[in-house]
Amino acid sequence: MPNQPNHPLLTHLSRHRRVLAVLAAWSAVEAAHTLTTGYALARALDTGFLAGRPATGLLWLAAAAVAVVVGAYGTGRTFRGVAALVEPFRDALVRRVVTRALGDGDAAAVSRLTHQVEIARDTFAGLVMVTRSFVFTAAGALVGLFLLAPVLLAVVVPPLLLGLGLFLATLRPLARRQEAFLVADEALAQSCGEACAGLRDIAAGGGEARVRTDTGALVDAELRASTALARWSVARAAALALAGRFPVVPLLVATPWLLDHGVTPGALVGALAYLTQSLLPALQSLIHGLGTSGSRLAVVVRRLTAPGPAPASAPIPASAPAPAVTDATAPAVELRRVTFGYGAHAEPVVRDLDLTLPPGTRLVVVGPSGVGKSTLAYLIAGLLEPSSGEVRVGGAAARAEGAAARRVLIPQEAYVFSGTVGDNLRYLRDDPVGEREVLAAAEAIGADALVRRLGGLDAPVTPDELSAGERQLIALVRAYLSPAPVALLDEAACHLDPAAEARAEGAFAARPGGTLVVVAHRAGSARRADRVLVMDGPGTVAGTHRELMARSASYRELMGGGRRSSHPAGAARDADRVHPVARPGLPGDGGHVVAHGSVRQVEAARDLADGGALGGE
Amino acid sequence: MTSTALHEATRRDGDRLLATTLRTAAPRTAALVLIATASTGAALLLPAVLGHTLDLLLKGQATRRWVALCAALVCVPAALDALGEYLNATTTARTTARLRRTALGHVLAAGPRATARMTPGDLVARLVGNAAQAGTAPATVAGTVTAVVGPIGGIVALALLDPWLALVFLAGAPLLALLLRAFTRASTDSLAGYQRLQGELAGRLMEAVGGARTIAAAGTAARERDRVLEPLPGLSRHGHRMWRVQGRSSAQATALVPLLQIAVLAVAGLELSRGALSVGDLLAASRYAVLATGVGMLVGHLGALVHGRTAARRLAEVHALPPTVHGTRRLPADGDGTLRLRGVAAERGGRTVLRGVDLVVPGGSTTAVVGRSGTGKSVLAELAGRLADPDAGEITLDGVPLRELAHDELRRQVGYAFARPALLGGTIGGTLAFGSFAPPPEVVVDAARAACADDFVRRLPDGYDTACAAAPLSGGEAQRLGLARAFAHAGRLLILDDATSSLDSVTESRVADALLHDVAARTRLIVAHRLATAERADRVAWLDGGRVRAVGPHTELWRLPGYRAVFEG
Repeated sequence: MPNQPNHPLLTHLSRHRRVLAVLAAWSAVEAAHTLTTGYALARALDTGFLAGRPATGLLWLAAAAVAVVVGAYGTGRTFRGVAALVEPFRDALVRRVVTRALGDGDAAAVSRLTHQVEIARDTFAGLVMVTRSFVFTAAGALVGLFLLAPVLLAVVVPPLLLGLGLFLATLRPLARRQEAFLVADEALAQSCGEACAGLRDIAAGGGEARVRTDTGALVDAELRASTALARWSVARAAALALAGRFPVVPLLVATPWLLDHGVTPGALVGALAYLTQSLLPALQSLIHGLGTSGSRLAVVVRRLTAPGPAPASAPIPASAPAPAVTDATAPAVELRRVTFGYGAHAEPVVRDLDLTLPPGTRLVVVGPSGVGKSTLAYLIAGLLEPSSGEVRVGGAAARAEGAAARRVLIPQEAYVFSGTVGDNLRYLRDDPVGEREVLAAAEAIGADALVRRLGGLDAPVTPDELSAGERQLIALVRAYLSPAPVALLDEAACHLDPAAEARAEGAFAARPGGTLVVVAHRAGSARRADRVLVMDGPGTVAGTHRELMARSASYRELMGGGRRSSHPAGAARDADRVHPVARPGLPGDGGHVVAHGSVRQVEAARDLADGGALGGE
Repeated sequence: MTSTALHEATRRDGDRLLATTLRTAAPRTAALVLIATASTGAALLLPAVLGHTLDLLLKGQATRRWVALCAALVCVPAALDALGEYLNATTTARTTARLRRTALGHVLAAGPRATARMTPGDLVARLVGNAAQAGTAPATVAGTVTAVVGPIGGIVALALLDPWLALVFLAGAPLLALLLRAFTRASTDSLAGYQRLQGELAGRLMEAVGGARTIAAAGTAARERDRVLEPLPGLSRHGHRMWRVQGRSSAQATALVPLLQIAVLAVAGLELSRGALSVGDLLAASRYAVLATGVGMLVGHLGALVHGRTAARRLAEVHALPPTVHGTRRLPADGDGTLRLRGVAAERGGRTVLRGVDLVVPGGSTTAVVGRSGTGKSVLAELAGRLADPDAGEITLDGVPLRELAHDELRRQVGYAFARPALLGGTIGGTLAFGSFAPPPEVVVDAARAACADDFVRRLPDGYDTACAAAPLSGGEAQRLGLARAFAHAGRLLILDDATSSLDSVTESRVADALLHDVAARTRLIVAHRLATAERADRVAWLDGGRVRAVGPHTELWRLPGYRAVFEG
């Protein structure tokens, strides 16, 4: 609820005290209308219509009409005040969501950005409006009553306070029920979503009954939650009746006494007008508004600001000004008894791995998919922290400051952003890089034709219009231009044809003093390596291609030696590619967090669509 | 049926659904209507009684009975409203739950063919959103009483007090509305601008999230954040402008009712000074004027009714999904799992995808189905296990037409694995056990081992108990889970539709070995693109242009240039 200590909402409000003051000022103008509602009516009756001076009565009513218009102007201006509170709040939420999304690579953030942030913004605005409106309307009405006859307050205020107290007391339990309802509703929506997306699999497995039971249970849970919520709405209605409707009764009971003590008939009519026309509607919107949107806002804000699931790749200390502290004599990459697993209960992906690469080595990592090749690349890059053991790159700890200057990682899903070609290629360089150097790098990698086709370095590039291979070329040139001596290619050229891949790998290997670690995508990479690391669980072993062909059955199998083949057809080569070609960046590209990116997932999605198996028109 | 006739039919279905909904909730709806009537009646009586009581009080007469009546008219509707609110909420919740359960039943009975007409997202919107909207129908109908009787009663009451009051109100309302409308310069450009910038921000974030690993490795998160947030100041500007526009129109709306009320009061005051009305009448008039302005709410209420009707129509479309009807027959106990397609044809989206397909898959054999993309391989796979019915021809398993098989028998004996399996069942272990029956854990683990999934599952944070949503899986890993699920439930026929496309060649060959030796399925039908799959199969069915071009061992077909071309594309 909003009244928890250190709540982001309260922090936000306390930071915008000046805006609150302006908002209060305009709300006071708005309340002028409330104040005159009863007062002008009372005066119009007492000094005008009842005194036989209808003109005076009309004048008082005209004054009330002017107050209505002035008040309406105030209402209009309060919206600006609300904007001044709400828009910065939205900005802060957007900043938070973006920062977090970049930290954990969570694609769901886009929904948070567009949907939940807007809910938060709208409900926050609603809350501010409703609360503000109630406070100032109540103040206007009470001041009006006081002006008419102070004794009226004694009759009206006690039930009002009692009712408000009752409402405030129900606020917390009501909010809890409301939250339970929202949670149940979301669980149901998610379950329906899974079922509707998996209808084919449900039918194929004959799981209809089970889904009906499981989702039906969630339907019932939501029904229970809303019934519990409905029970509390009775308390809410009671509070409204007590605070808003009931005061009329004591006022009527007290009337003879009031009339005896100098309260005029006009004042009585005015008092009744305050009760029914100002306080009651304001209470109504307060009680309905705070009860529902308040807890909705609390839930959404908590969700937006809560720390997300632990990011798979822990952030590395920023590397900005730190120079590349590379010890030329130290091994380029060194792993000492490194063990890593994705959770306390998980079996380690890498176990007690020792590996030393002198500068200039070209290591190729091979193994069946899912065995942890990418994980190894991330460990060397310092994106993952080993559970035990030590990873050093260029003599420094992999996760030490300035890591970006010692190694460059090119993941499978190439990152190209909307900007110029040059911006994309110079991305990893802080110093100005001349056009000549960039173009030379593009030529070395084999991307010169692509750069020309796109229109040169200053031409804009739209990521969606590039093929997966073209995106990889851009990422490769970018990495080539990086000052880091160690390059980690994690299936970074899987969308290129074998010749293009060989050329790109060759360019990296030829970088002066450059150390290259390639997570292999094709058998050919291994043949070009100085050393090969075969990852296959307990069968993990390192050596040269020749040694491994002799020593490792896994390696022979990976190289295609272990499988029977009925013919040497060239066609087999492409069918045997370790992974099919796919184009990332399609809608729904999940940006998965752990090893083995979304690329193949996307490929599969496209297959389904192309196959048109289930699709009608 | 023409499209307008169809449209008319769905509207009728929607109204019928709405009527059924109201009938089912009839007692509660009736109670709600009664409560609303009583409460509205009290609200209409109160100003008159209050006015009269005030007059009596001002005259100094004994009024205990009238004060008591006022108290009753205040308290009874309050109690009724509390009860009404509770009934309203619970009726809506119950109706919604019932509509959801029914609609879900229809979706599940229709199966995958439901998504041929509506996308999964659309279906969810109907199950969750539209059901909730249609669920409010009983409450909305009951609310109509208040919405209609209140304002009309207010105007009538004004007229009864003094015809001039009603006249001023009726003439003033449209006049004032028009006057205020003239000041409204509603601008929608700020909303469009806001949404455009929001889209741009989301697009930039999407791009950057896609490159999260590059960004993490390069340590450029701060720079990226600034780049993504570049449209934010513009967004904020548009947001401020939207609030200003909204403020203007709200100001106009809030002025309308009090101004009307003052106009009525002015007339009442004049009548009062003329002696035609009492103070109490004036008080009543001001209250009735407010009640009468409820006409504006009527529009909103009608809107809710229309919403409910539209929602009911969209639900009726879900109800109209043709269910898959199953027979009651069982397979002969001694069958070897022979699958036979005779003269099978299928249309998709008005296009003939398969025609005149005759194919026998002998019991106990492995048959690969190959062909270029778009030749109907996946449709054949769908038909072979009755995920869809052919438009012509017949498919039998061990001599029994698939249509005549009982649901349980069909799903127990025919298993599927897909290129992109949906992971249902909550946890990884749950998804492997998902199906018409839950195999024992050791069977599940054996199946996972056979599908080369056991290793990576054990490396997940909670092993087999890891929640699917918390397990970031690659396409290949998801495929292996789908295969393991099919292996764990293997019956007489196993159909693999491109189910190994994302596996590397080593894993694929390990899975293929397991499929031949460790999996209990007797007959296997495998749709694949890979040469290796065709090589390993006993027989290959070569599909081309929706027909079976040839069936035979791979080595024989390999002599045909057209067949070789399938693998070169």
